[in-house]
Amino acid sequence: MEIFHALFLGFSEIFRIKALFYCFVGVFIGTLIGVLPGIGPIGTMSLLLPITYKAPPLLAIVLLAGIYYGAMYGGSTTSILVNIPGEAASVVTCLDGYQMARKGRAGPALGIAAFGSFIAGTIGLVGLMLIAPPLASIALRFGPPEYFSLMCVGLIILIYLASGSVIRALMMAAFGIILGCIGVDPETGFTRFVFGIPDLMDGIGMAPFVMGLFGISEVFLNIEQSLKGRSIFTTKVKGLFPNWQDWKDSIMPISRGSILGFLLGILPGGGAVISSFVSYAVEKKISRHPEKFGTGTIEGVAAPESANNSATAGAFIPLLTLGIPPNVVMALLLGVFIIHGVVPGPRLISDNPNIFWGLVASMYVGNIMLLILNLPLIGLWVQLLRVPYKILFPLILLFCIIGAYSINNSTFDIAVMLVFGVTGYLMRKYKYEGAPMVLAFVLGPMFENSLRQSLLLSDGSFSIFFTRPIAAGGMITTILLLIGSIIPSIRRRKEMIPMEEKN
Amino acid sequence: MIGTYTAIHAYQLGLGSFRHPDRGFIFFLCALLLIILGAIDLARTFIGKHKKEKDKEEYPIWRDLQWQKVLMVLLSLIVYTFFLNLAGFLLSNFLLMVFLFRVVEPTKWRIAIVSSLITVLLSYAIFQVWLKVPFPTGFLRF
Repeated sequence: MEIFHALFLGFSEIFRIKALFYCFVGVFIGTLIGVLPGIGPIGTMSLLLPITYKAPPLLAIVLLAGIYYGAMYGGSTTSILVNIPGEAASVVTCLDGYQMARKGRAGPALGIAAFGSFIAGTIGLVGLMLIAPPLASIALRFGPPEYFSLMCVGLIILIYLASGSVIRALMMAAFGIILGCIGVDPETGFTRFVFGIPDLMDGIGMAPFVMGLFGISEVFLNIEQSLKGRSIFTTKVKGLFPNWQDWKDSIMPISRGSILGFLLGILPGGGAVISSFVSYAVEKKISRHPEKFGTGTIEGVAAPESANNSATAGAFIPLLTLGIPPNVVMALLLGVFIIHGVVPGPRLISDNPNIFWGLVASMYVGNIMLLILNLPLIGLWVQLLRVPYKILFPLILLFCIIGAYSINNSTFDIAVMLVFGVTGYLMRKYKYEGAPMVLAFVLGPMFENSLRQSLLLSDGSFSIFFTRPIAAGGMITTILLLIGSIIPSIRRRKEMIPMEEKN
Repeated sequence: MIGTYTAIHAYQLGLGSFRHPDRGFIFFLCALLLIILGAIDLARTFIGKHKKEKDKEEYPIWRDLQWQKVLMVLLSLIVYTFFLNLAGFLLSNFLLMVFLFRVVEPTKWRIAIVSSLITVLLSYAIFQVWLKVPFPTGFLRF
């Protein structure tokens, strides 16, 4: 009964004109950037970060979360119609979605993607609602060693899943911690690595850092190659409602995809991209006709699209209950929470129930908005695919500049953004992953504090990480994963997953 | 190089002890990790040089790409950053937009100028007038 009271509180927060407006803007922008190839949810969220600084915390989070799960809906449109994934979590949808479109079944493919996403999003939310409160109460017993080991697990899973070199991913994580800890030392009050620059006293700003690493670098990578040659289905998309047979074929893949996606979303380092790939692989494996996958089977659209949506709900659990972001998108949201003076973690639900339940309620409302936006307005999104990149990229750059400048009204932040734009561009070219770096950057100060506090508690002994059960479990997992990622025979088993977004 | 520099600087900041880690402690640990991993990566690069050269032929990083455009855009952004305070939001953004609209694929001057004008005025109305972001006015004084 308590849960319904809490949910009612959430809905009372969200059913206000301003909150509904933020929710709508979030899911609208999410769908927009999901549809447009060349800009993903991380880039967009980082571009919009400065704007959310002036909004109340709940509305800021509602807007950014809307972009995240909205992008999952929108991403399927380009995968199905153009064979270009709008964002990384829709890569696998191309395989069967585009084939369905070529067979004249673009409508049912888009329809099942939208309905599947809606069902999965709802299942994911129910899971979030049921699991988060009890987990938060357990997490209240966590101390610095537990937090340290959990952060180690999060970072190492992200590194383990890196598509490129593990060594380079580890290097990026170490570099991210260094960058994240620049500024005033919270314990002694002395500055570190500020080089006499007053703007660096508070550390490197998260927004210009991420905007550069993902937004600017993405623009650079796009403008150096021609985006010509896309073939878009010009015929009118019709028959968006899947028929009875389509539903029969899809209902189990949707259910399995939802549960699998949700569970993988909770795991540190997991998320929408991995969930979509794994659920596709599972469906293919258990199907009676695996040979049909890749030729335009509806299960190949339903499962991954459901999985990537429920994973977005699952990913909120570690952030909201433990204060540990499991992926880069959640790391961005953690930054927003902290900027607004709200500390996500075990006490969030009890101290700020309006924020937690407001967010949950906004996701229910957002899912319904997305269903309306994605089905009747599909024609509009198809038209958007025709906007040439030469028009789009100056607007993205202008938005980045304005966003970076408006944080502190300083050109220094624009310079920081450009530096990390070039860094991100070169990193992507030379196969250094940005995701471990960003996660480490955000976790850096927490990582340092929990390590120092743990060592203070144990009088300098590292055994504290192995004598407490949860901390020991985390550290053993970390070590095993590290060994597993170094041993090539184990690594070879990994599928080539495009991990650009790690979400 | 970054690792070595960070390690030296972190050492100067003070490492403390395991009992009481000081402000350079975490930097030193990470820098050490960077140095070791960097050395392994470098060694692997040299060992697998032959294979890499072969790979490069198959997957060129720079060939067949118009990286010069990236360089031009980057330079324009650097110049823009230097002159934003001096020239002000409207003028510097207008000039930047005209340049960006023309640089990637040739666009007619008239279209580039009109598009830039609309973009800059709209962004000015949204951010400066509506959201009250105090942009630099420059010598134009608005």
